[in-house]
Parts: sequence; C-alpha cells; structure tokens
Amino acid sequence: MMTSDNHMLNKKDLRKVFWRSLPMEFSWHYERQMHMGFEYMISSGLRKIYKNDPDGLRESLQRNLEFFNCTAHITPFIGGVTLAMEEENEKSNDFDVSSISAVKAALMGPLSGLGDSLILGTLRVLAVGIGASIAIKGNVLGAILFLLIFNIPTFILRYYTAMKGYELGASYITKIQESGAMRVFMLAAGILGVMVIGGMINNLVVATTPLKIGTGSGATKIQEVLDGILPGILPLGFTGIYYYLLKKKVNVIWLIIGTAIFGIICAEFGILTVNS
Amino acid sequence: MILKAFLLACVAFVGKLDLATGTNQIQRPIVLGPIVGLIMGNLSMGVTIGATLELAFLGSYSIGAFIPPDVIVGGVLGTAFAIETGKGPAVAFTMAFPIALLALIFDNVMFALVRPMLGKLADKYAAKGNVKAINTVHMLAGFLMCAMLAIIVFVGYLLGGSQIKMFVNAIPKPVIDGLTIATGLLPGIGFAMLAQMIMNKEVVPFFFLGFLLSAYFKVPVIGIALLGLILVTVIVKFMNGSKVSTNDGGDDDDF
Repeated sequence: MMTSDNHMLNKKDLRKVFWRSLPMEFSWHYERQMHMGFEYMISSGLRKIYKNDPDGLRESLQRNLEFFNCTAHITPFIGGVTLAMEEENEKSNDFDVSSISAVKAALMGPLSGLGDSLILGTLRVLAVGIGASIAIKGNVLGAILFLLIFNIPTFILRYYTAMKGYELGASYITKIQESGAMRVFMLAAGILGVMVIGGMINNLVVATTPLKIGTGSGATKIQEVLDGILPGILPLGFTGIYYYLLKKKVNVIWLIIGTAIFGIICAEFGILTVNS
Repeated sequence: MILKAFLLACVAFVGKLDLATGTNQIQRPIVLGPIVGLIMGNLSMGVTIGATLELAFLGSYSIGAFIPPDVIVGGVLGTAFAIETGKGPAVAFTMAFPIALLALIFDNVMFALVRPMLGKLADKYAAKGNVKAINTVHMLAGFLMCAMLAIIVFVGYLLGGSQIKMFVNAIPKPVIDGLTIATGLLPGIGFAMLAQMIMNKEVVPFFFLGFLLSAYFKVPVIGIALLGLILVTVIVKFMNGSKVSTNDGGDDDDF
C-alpha cells in the first residue's frame, strides 16, 4: 500500500497530480483566482491522505480553497509540496496547519515571477516569433510549430514538477519534524508567506485616484500626495478594509457585489480611475 | 450563414478549452485563424490573418491578474469578418480589437461576479467534505465560460461587424470603467482571506516589510522572497543559537 519511504502517495498518485493540473486556470476568477483549479489538482491526493479522517479532509478542503495564483505550468510543484505537508499533518497531531497556507503563499509569488518571465514572457514570445514568421506567408506549418515549441518544454516541466514537489516537500518536512524544529519552521514559513503577500498586494491590487484639490495648473493631485507619503497606500487600504470586513464575518458575496457597485460609483464621480 | 455561425461558435468553445488542457495556447489567433479560414473557405487567408492578429495581440496575454481583451472572440470574429469582406489582414485587427474589448466586458462579469459566487458554492461543499461536488463546480465554471464565448461568437457573427461597434458605443462609460476599477480591487479580497489564515502577532511586522519593500523600493516579488529567505535564515540561526544545548548538532544548519 505504501511506498518504501513510508510516504502515503506513490508515483501513480503524483501522475494524477500532473493530469489534474491541466485545467488549473479553467475556473480562474479575480477574487481567489486559481483556487478551485488548485483544489482539483490535489483533491485525489487529499482523498487518499485523509481516507480514514473525514474531519481532516473537510478542513483540508476548506484550507486549500483559499487564494491561489501561479504560472499554471509549474503549479504541480506547489501541489506536491502541499500534499507532503497535508500528509505530515495527518500523521502527526501537533502540526500547525497555518504553515501549509504560509508555504503555499511563499512559493506562489516567486514561482509566478520565474514562470511568468521564462514561460509566458520568453518561451511564448519565442514560439510566436518563429511560428508567426512562417504562418504570415500563409503556411499552416507555422501554427503547428508554434504549438510544438511552446508545449513540449512546458509539458515536460509540468510532469517533472509534479514528480519532484512531493518528494522534496516530504523529505524536508519529515526531517524538520524529526529534528524538533517545527515551531521555528512554522514561524519561518509564516514570515516568508506574509512578506510575499505584502509585496503581491502592492503589485496586484490596483487603485489610483484622479482627484485633485483646486483647479487649473496649480491643482494638487491627491495621488501624488499619497505617493509622497506611502506609494501603494490605496491597495493596502482597500485590502485592509476587506481584511477588517472579513474579520467581522461579512459575507464574501456582498464584498464582491459591493466592490462592483463601488467601482461604478467611483467611475461616475471620478474618485478612482482606470489604470492603463 | 447559421451553419457558419454555429461552426465559429464551436471554434470559440474549443479555443477556450485551452485552459482545460494545460494552458497550451490553442486559444491564440495563430491557431484558431487557420480553422476559421477553413470554415470561411479560405485556409491560407485564415493562416495569414491568424499570424497577423497573433503579433498584434502578443501583449494581450493574461499574466498574473491582468485580463486582456478577449482574443478568442476578437480573433475568431475578426478573422471571419476580414475574410468575408475580402479585406484581408489589413483590416483584421481594426475589426478584432473592438470586438475583443466588448467580449472583455462579458469576461469580466464572469470573472468578477459569477465565478466568485461559484467559489462560495465550492466552499460550502468543502465544509461538507464533498470532493466530487467541488470538482464539478470547478469544471462547471470553466464550461460556462466556453459556452458564453460560443454564444457571443454565434450572435456576433449573425449581427455583423458594424452592429457590434454600435453596441459597444451604447454601453455607458462609467459601467465599463467601474467594472474595470472593481477588477483591480477584487484580488484584495483574495489576499485578505489568505492573510487571515497566516497572520499572527509574530509575523505582522514582516507583512509590512514585504509591502514596503515593494511600495518604496519597487523590489519584485522574487526579490522580496529572496530577502525574506535571508531574513528567515538569520532568524532561525539566532533562535537555534539561543538554545544550542538542546540541539543535537546535526547537519540542519547548512541551509
């Protein structure tokens, strides 16, 4: 039933992670982005890990439906690491589950940066460059070449990351658990996780105001004043408001609808502006 | 006419399946162009227009939380109209771009309203431990989008290019801008939810450190993670150093 290393998941399970990572972006949305895709990717692994623990499965499912976003082609790596941590959580009873979310957050930011620039920035543009230069003359081979140049490396990468993530995660986490450094590890994961979230808020939450005090050329632009104090204060502020409202148990659906209405009001009265 | 509209709708549907089959680029104009060309009865023209649009839409690619104009609807209808009117690659982009912008509004309704609701539904099933139902919601969210794009292409083709331009102009600007503003804010909800799971008193200062590094010094997220790694290594060393006697002195500090 188990592999020689006493891990719960074997090669076949990891191959499932690979296949199930394919529709990663299929249900993407603004609020939590690839969260359902992530859940879909690891769900068969979770089911195996928690097969004798329905409560554990429930908690794990809820926790893994939180925000997730990363370059789709390397997400199996994070899926594997997550599964290794979930497994450790099931095996030991003093595992702090918040470290699972923290490690996920700490990985998704940097891996997105790497993946977006290498895969979507470089490889894709290379594929377009070669493919389009042939296709523009009316040769359908260009389209085929475009697909091959992009997909052969990314599918190999996807498979490889699916296999390695779990292995790496499992070996490290077992070692940490045995050495008794778990508390330190949790803190470290938490620090790394929140730092990356802090950085991502400034990059991915977008809010700019066109408001001015006074008229004409002497008018003071409020955005410039804000940038002078703390750049990104609006994204931070809005995220802070959301954080506070969620703490107050405000339903997410109202936050989403409220945001849409708020956006239209802001556009009508010129409180916030569209960034281009 | 109806048959062509239906076939083009199918192309859009299959194109969107790109995201169900590994983000493998089959939704791009360079791939869909030849298929549209085949349907419209001019394969080589379709290939050329597809390549032209691909280059024009090169920057219209979803990276991070940025959602570009809809290249599927824009690409399929743009190519079809360009072939039909016989005007070829030269006008394909001027046709495709407003259509892609119009489709983006529908996309955004899906991304900002419909799917977050489905996400809430998935939460409900998670609380019940129902894995199958969550996975169904995930797939449903995807196929709903495929169907929506197919319908837009179907109706769009029957309406024709000039009708679509009029429709775009009829939508009040504050509604379009407002939804765009909202899409900038919505990731904040996701981050707030994530932060709630990780945040505790010990790590709060580091959250602001990460934010400030990005806000003041424009450090990219990779840089923040690397700085965080150094910081964490130092902290771990420091914490281990203060209780060195309990440590078995193994090889666990060769980070």
